[in-house]
Amino acid sequence: MLETLRYEGRRRLRGAAILTGGIGAYAGFIVWYFTILEGVDYEDIFDDLPPAMLEAFGIESLSTIEGFLGAQVFNFVWLLGLGLYFAYVAGGTIASDIETERLDLLLSLPVTRSQLLFEKFAALLVPVVVVNALGGPLIYLFVVAAGETIALDHLFLAHLLSIPFLLVCAGIGLVFSVAVDRAAIAERAAVGTVFVLYLIESSVGGAEGYDWIQYVSPTQYYEPTPILMDGAFEPIDSAILLVAFVGLMLLSQALFVRRDV
Amino acid sequence: MSGEPGSPIVADGLTKDFGSVLANDDVSFAVNEGEVFGFLGPNGAGKSTTIRLLLGLLKPTAGTARVLGADIRDEAALTAAKRRIGYLPAHLGFSEAATGAAVLDYHGAMKGDSRREELLELFTPPIARPIREYSTGNRRMLGLVQAFMHDPDLVIMDEPTAGLDPLKQEAFNEFVRAERDRGTTVFFSSHVLSEVRRVCDRVGILRAGSLVELETVDALLHRSGKHVRVHASDAAVAEITALGGVVGPERFGGGVQFVYAGDLDALLDALAAHDVRDVEIGEPPIEDVFAHYYGSEESPARGDREASDRRENGPSAVDEREADSA
Repeated sequence: MLETLRYEGRRRLRGAAILTGGIGAYAGFIVWYFTILEGVDYEDIFDDLPPAMLEAFGIESLSTIEGFLGAQVFNFVWLLGLGLYFAYVAGGTIASDIETERLDLLLSLPVTRSQLLFEKFAALLVPVVVVNALGGPLIYLFVVAAGETIALDHLFLAHLLSIPFLLVCAGIGLVFSVAVDRAAIAERAAVGTVFVLYLIESSVGGAEGYDWIQYVSPTQYYEPTPILMDGAFEPIDSAILLVAFVGLMLLSQALFVRRDV
Repeated sequence: MSGEPGSPIVADGLTKDFGSVLANDDVSFAVNEGEVFGFLGPNGAGKSTTIRLLLGLLKPTAGTARVLGADIRDEAALTAAKRRIGYLPAHLGFSEAATGAAVLDYHGAMKGDSRREELLELFTPPIARPIREYSTGNRRMLGLVQAFMHDPDLVIMDEPTAGLDPLKQEAFNEFVRAERDRGTTVFFSSHVLSEVRRVCDRVGILRAGSLVELETVDALLHRSGKHVRVHASDAAVAEITALGGVVGPERFGGGVQFVYAGDLDALLDALAAHDVRDVEIGEPPIEDVFAHYYGSEESPARGDREASDRRENGPSAVDEREADSA
């Protein structure tokens, strides 16, 4: 039991460390950039922008460190960047093993398909957890080092609530991964789907009569900026994400168990 | 069906239709305990499909098989049986960045590795290095180690010696015989016939998805006639090759060679009646035996040695079937 998780999880550690390092460096740059912008009446620049655009980029209050981080780090990196990243990586999990015929060998081992799928997906939790568990403290240290303050509990929530969202993105990738034979196709389809959902959510938000469409997008259910600024979030949003995630896992499992490899 | 209930592999009407090609058509055979069974056929005949059905990688369209008593359609039973099965696929997909040792650790944790060290003395892949640096032969050796390291009761191999140098190939043959003598049942596919002849007790011959023959190797060689090479005058050659039972006569300077499948006395009489300078009568090269079953000029052993025929060369399999029925 769990040999696959141990093996695959270990192999994801290095990538997780590099990912965290890269995001940490970017967050550090953003915090530094915030300090040099102080004194500039930054929000005036955005007054002329259409509300849809502000909405799309999650821009609410750029004059506070929370608002600035929310827009520049969480909306860009966590919501868009990591969402796409985990969709991409999950898209490759099974499809690349099918393509390289590694799955033939793995399925000759005494392990059921469901178990193998579950453990391979669970190994993806390694980068999900590492990037949040280390990224959060890094961001906090940068903020403190820059002489600013940020509410610890808000920061913690912003990271914690990103996990159901990232799981859904990875779940979308996993469905493509078991549905096709080629890694490149699964990866592109997964990234494309998550990106299109992100665009849909940000563009139809203001369209009267059609604004229900935004509810199909996972990005609708994770809004980091209000969490960072006020600690405001809806528990139902996370519940919806978790239910969607379970649905995606069950769909992947059903497809994988039935398919020829 | 000759299979006893205890046979390690019993295929019963195994059929796999990929839609575009019928890769396995009602294939039935049984592999007895403790024998080496060779599964022969050219690329595209459907050998890999049978193997992948037996391991539950593909779902049969019709029919089924039992492997170590487990129905291949019953995932739980087959998964349990896999503790006692070793598998060497035609194409070895390992994680490229991992070292050989890491892969063996992982496989060993799942199914056991009691014979790992012993096998690493016989087959010597550089297990400390990442697999992406491996040669084809090293990959194959790593594959062999993982296939046998948990001391399985049944080992299934798809084109096992592809990529091994002749020395390792001979070591492999000896190894397979020794494994058989310890009681391991070995089932392997091949299109390299000389190897089958040296190692196998029985063979099944697959053609365009159908099993055409199931025989012992001795019977296979016996039934397929003699290879005859005669040095004689043109007139004598013409009369000798006119005998019934002469297959595929080939002229060379000062004589002829052919496979003779007729009555031996008639051949000897014909030879005695003419002025023959020299004659050799022996076992036919197994490639010719094979050609006999396929009725084709082309020797399958000289065919495309692409290691992976898992996707099954659909069009050629279909062509062969059509050519046959025509």
